[in-house]
Amino acid sequence: MTAHAPKNVFLSMKNRKLDSLTALPELSEAVEDISISQGIQAAYNYLLRAEVIFNLRKPSLAVYDHAFHFIGGAQKYGLTLISALQDQFDITIIANQEVRHEDFSDWYDLDLSKCKIKVIKLPFFEERKAFHLDPAFITHDVKNPFHLISQESGHYDVFVNNSMNEMVYPLSHISVLICHFPERRPQSYFYADQYTYVICNSRYTAEWIEKKWKFTPHQHLYPPVDMESAETGFPKKKNILSVARFEPEGTKRQREMIETFMKLNREWPEIVTGWTFILAGGSNPNNPYLSKLEETIAENPDQNIELKINVPITELKSLYQESTIFWHLCGLTHEDPGEIEHFGMTTVEAMQNKMVPIVYDGGGLREIVDHGLNGFRVQSKAELLEWTITLFRDQTLVQKLSQSAQEKARTYARKKFEGRVKVFFDEILKRMTSPDVFKT
Amino acid sequence: MDERAKEIRRLKETLDKKIAEIHDLEELVNKDIDRTFPSPVEEFSEKELTTYIRECLSSIDIDLEFKPDIRAITSHRKTLGKPIVFLKRAFLETTFRSIDSFLDKQIHFNRQISALCRALLLRTSHSRERMKQIEERISGCEENLAILKNKLENLRSGPEPLKNRPTVRPLK
Repeated sequence: MTAHAPKNVFLSMKNRKLDSLTALPELSEAVEDISISQGIQAAYNYLLRAEVIFNLRKPSLAVYDHAFHFIGGAQKYGLTLISALQDQFDITIIANQEVRHEDFSDWYDLDLSKCKIKVIKLPFFEERKAFHLDPAFITHDVKNPFHLISQESGHYDVFVNNSMNEMVYPLSHISVLICHFPERRPQSYFYADQYTYVICNSRYTAEWIEKKWKFTPHQHLYPPVDMESAETGFPKKKNILSVARFEPEGTKRQREMIETFMKLNREWPEIVTGWTFILAGGSNPNNPYLSKLEETIAENPDQNIELKINVPITELKSLYQESTIFWHLCGLTHEDPGEIEHFGMTTVEAMQNKMVPIVYDGGGLREIVDHGLNGFRVQSKAELLEWTITLFRDQTLVQKLSQSAQEKARTYARKKFEGRVKVFFDEILKRMTSPDVFKT
Repeated sequence: MDERAKEIRRLKETLDKKIAEIHDLEELVNKDIDRTFPSPVEEFSEKELTTYIRECLSSIDIDLEFKPDIRAITSHRKTLGKPIVFLKRAFLETTFRSIDSFLDKQIHFNRQISALCRALLLRTSHSRERMKQIEERISGCEENLAILKNKLENLRSGPEPLKNRPTVRPLK
């Protein structure tokens, strides 16, 4: 090991006004020094930085998510983030299963044509034919399958880990972990604290990062939500809408909402007359929870309940525009903080379309809905009924709340998110390309 | 391509080759990356506790019947090995015989503790199930109450003539 610190070739070139040829032996020497003292990867990162500093190429960025191959709010977050950076960076999207640009366009209305897609299959999950790559399967007695992604991360200037998976050790010079929620406590293969920056999606998530991981995230960026229609004055129908993934564990509480609507239908049919309850959301194939809901609805055809599974974005937009009330009970009767909504993107989408939200009083939803001002927060099915009936009976209140809801929801607009992302990554680029602040 | 770019590319290619041969992340970064962390049980949620208890119980099960195996004692020495192994085994066998009764008691205790933990876990699970049922019943009652309350309000705010209608017809 060398006792002295590696030479800052970039800085010495600047200060001594050396031409590139004179500096070449120093570069080689610095690479050697770093390689010995900090490992080969650090030396490699040094060269990657040199290429960017000397304008030999655009900085490269990779974004990884083990769930890019299906629709999800977290995935939309990561992809919207990189869509704002397509001009500044040479971007690669790393997925574990086949996915196409067209899918991203269909699912999230995002044009990512300037980004490359690289699929890295993980043998551990391939052998098990797993569609959903659950990091919870990986314990200390299993070899970390995500090391393949770690190795790949070392080929980029910036590596962004967008997945709820802190088992990927970042090798790039700058690394960013987007934490949608700290699911696991620090245990085997925990590397969240090894990232240069940690971004979180809500104050609720930030609070749990501090509680579980014992550090404060560097940046708080609310998810981008851009569901507001350019057209105004679209006619509203007597629809109650729920938009959430049909999780096999039932964490989004669709069953409870169906039960509540059916109870209202049974106990007070006059007040529900003309109202329809629509549940939209994505689902994996062969979902037993969804099958059970389908069964319940089929057994009660007169209840005016409809299921819309994996609908395209255009249909979803229409549903938002036409519906009046939005129900979201994710978190109800859950004790585990991870099963409570970490933010609640669909609630904001509904509010942007002048829907009045009635949501569970917990998690990130508390940051979105101000009780009585732009919607209602409830802690039980009884309260859900109470406020729904209030809205059924008071059209003036619906008008007032829907207007306030739209105004509040505009604070989460995609343009604002993109602006914040650009500021953040500009700072990263500045740090990366400035010889003055060079640190290996 | 200028000299600088060529030199960087050359150095990168050299490192690329080295990196391709290394499959261990720790070797790449020249430090240990895996650490051990404490388990702050007092901070755990119900879900985390369930997993934690399950893991603890399975590790107790592994150690439950533990008794040292004297057959594992061997020696690589050619001539001296056999007598050394014989003496060691004889010594340990005598010692173990005297502590066998204590070990048996310990094993019995371990088994009882393991069984007790399972029973307590089962009792907790039964209690939670009952609590869930009661909560659902209370929730049902609250829902009915909410509907009835609103029905009543609806009746009270009904049409004016209906509201003011005398309940008892006045006598002529």
